[in-house]
Amino acid sequence: MSAREEILQRVRGGLGKGDLAGRRAAAESLVRNPVHGPQPRLDADLTRRFASKARYLASSVEHVDCLAQVPTAVARYLADQGLPLLAVATGDVAGFDWPGSGVEIAVRVAVDADKTGISGCFCAIAETGTLMLLAGPQTPGSVSLLPETHIAIVPVGRIVATMEDAFALLRAEHGKLPRAVNFISGPSRTGDIEQTIVLGAHGPCRVHLILVGENS
Amino acid sequence: MSIAGHSQAMFFQARATAQVRNAGLQKTLKKVRPLFVAKRAKGVVGLVEDGFDIEELRGACAAIRRRVVDDLDVWLEIFEERASASGAEVLWARDGGEVARLVVDIAQRHGVTKAVKSKSMLSEEARLNEALSAAGICPVETDLGEYIVQLAGETPSHIIAPAVHKTIGEVESLFAEAHQRPLQERSSADIPAMAAEARAVLRQHFLSAEMGISGANFLIAESGSAALVTNEGNGRMVTTMPRVHVVITGIEKIVPTLEDFSTLMRLLPRSATGQSISNYVSLLTGARGANESDGPEKTVFILVDNGRAALAGSDFAEMLRCIRCGACMNHCPVYFSLGGHAYGWVYPGPMGSVLTPLYTGVENALDLPHASTGCNQCGSVCPVNIPLPALMHRLREIQNERGLRPWGERLALRAWAWLAGRPGLYRWVSRRIARYLRWLADDSGRIRVFGLAPGWTEGRDLTPPPGPTFHELYAARKRA
Repeated sequence: MSAREEILQRVRGGLGKGDLAGRRAAAESLVRNPVHGPQPRLDADLTRRFASKARYLASSVEHVDCLAQVPTAVARYLADQGLPLLAVATGDVAGFDWPGSGVEIAVRVAVDADKTGISGCFCAIAETGTLMLLAGPQTPGSVSLLPETHIAIVPVGRIVATMEDAFALLRAEHGKLPRAVNFISGPSRTGDIEQTIVLGAHGPCRVHLILVGENS
Repeated sequence: MSIAGHSQAMFFQARATAQVRNAGLQKTLKKVRPLFVAKRAKGVVGLVEDGFDIEELRGACAAIRRRVVDDLDVWLEIFEERASASGAEVLWARDGGEVARLVVDIAQRHGVTKAVKSKSMLSEEARLNEALSAAGICPVETDLGEYIVQLAGETPSHIIAPAVHKTIGEVESLFAEAHQRPLQERSSADIPAMAAEARAVLRQHFLSAEMGISGANFLIAESGSAALVTNEGNGRMVTTMPRVHVVITGIEKIVPTLEDFSTLMRLLPRSATGQSISNYVSLLTGARGANESDGPEKTVFILVDNGRAALAGSDFAEMLRCIRCGACMNHCPVYFSLGGHAYGWVYPGPMGSVLTPLYTGVENALDLPHASTGCNQCGSVCPVNIPLPALMHRLREIQNERGLRPWGERLALRAWAWLAGRPGLYRWVSRRIARYLRWLADDSGRIRVFGLAPGWTEGRDLTPPPGPTFHELYAARKRA
């Protein structure tokens, strides 16, 4: 007997339930009609909530009025940090006026030598101050992972309240999950030496969020 | 017994004694315990501020997990179908040995010489690193704590803080030796530099390894995905950079939907580290698409039994709800007196005291269900409401039913039961014992040496009963 058959048989023997088809139908129906658990009560101003949670998780946050201002904001941030005006970027932010800002971008997969990665995001979650990024041909995951500095562009219209809302948006716009959905909440950290928190473990040491749009 | 083969749980008392005498460990444990407790408490405050009722959330999380455990066969089939449809391969393993054989086989078929690993307690159950090394494949642990433990040639002493037992000095000597540099004097201020050193070393491994091995915090039936929760980003590295990704996970880790996952994520990080969310949460589905430029070309899930299936429908089915947050050990007075290594197998603390006997054999871990004060701190913080003390009691009953307790204890219990069934005699005997204990006490009202069992008074005095027994008082009151 295969391992699969043996394990399933052991489970079925233990459960002692019949009606496989009926139980299967009930499970499928639960998947089609997901149940929401208890939900948070959040203030209506999701942008403020998102920004304050993100800052608490050690990201830096700034706000610009429109997408056209993003490249100069990036240039200013890089200069303030003493970083070269050079970055690897995902395809969703490639169309901005980078030459005008003096920032040179390369749209590709990130490599070890890249100091800064610039990405957009699929959406952002106010409850926890979290970015939701989808990996894909235009948006390789390594851009938000390998460089020490990650700059993310967050249109305020894409800030939703909860993870459930983010999944609803994903189902509505994409139907199914891409190969990797990455929720990012601040720079990477470790507490494994004497339980002392250090920022910058294997992922970025700095995360800078540029919020774009109304209600600044 | 291949599982029990590497368990040291039968030597609990000797191991516990050694840990109690280890001054360095005791100092570390004393320092860390209040941190763990305070972090979760702070996490709970955050939930309340957002309008959650913590008990309602625990109930919701328990219900989600119960739903899966109650129809585990069905959920496994749904997960398998959807994971396969998304382009992943799904394999099954009866035990740890089979896990190791499958992983080695995949590695050899793909020409793998080095595998980077994200934390997986199940790979400890399977002793995977040993099997990989024996096959000439280099396993590299990449969670900083796991890396430290691997360099030391040890096993994790905590499921989410594997190197919690290591002092900064010990880490420094391990790093100096492994990274071939002179030993330095280190203080807490140097911890960022040491983390950066590990980052630089492990970065090269991430870039050169052909295979990534991870566990899964959850398997999502709806989408056939693995959910991976990390703070360091090593989970993302392991599942993004190498060309093959193997997910090793217990069959019980399924949650039905993304909504259920969202609910569980409100309690998992808070229960573990007090964080409202971990830095990285990834949902991994299938393999790299034709026009994608990073991510693994091949993804394999290995669904592992290793003792889990036997719990389905049993007195211990509730244990299958466990989401491996570590809150039970973080709040356990026994864990913090001994550290994790005393428990002798993969899982320490209250969850280990239940899982080790169940997975490795009740007769191979006789002391663990007794390594409890019955205080139920574990049960009261468990995010999925597992009644851990009750499960430990049930294991004690099984030991008794199967004649696994020492004859002296069994005889004493039988004598007690006989006596308790004879109220007149019971009262007479308890009066005599109370008087005997008062007679033993010295002028200051303490029993310094307990005649029948001197061990009880080796490190402390006993207080004698203050006066008449309850039955004497009751009888006197009725007369009056």
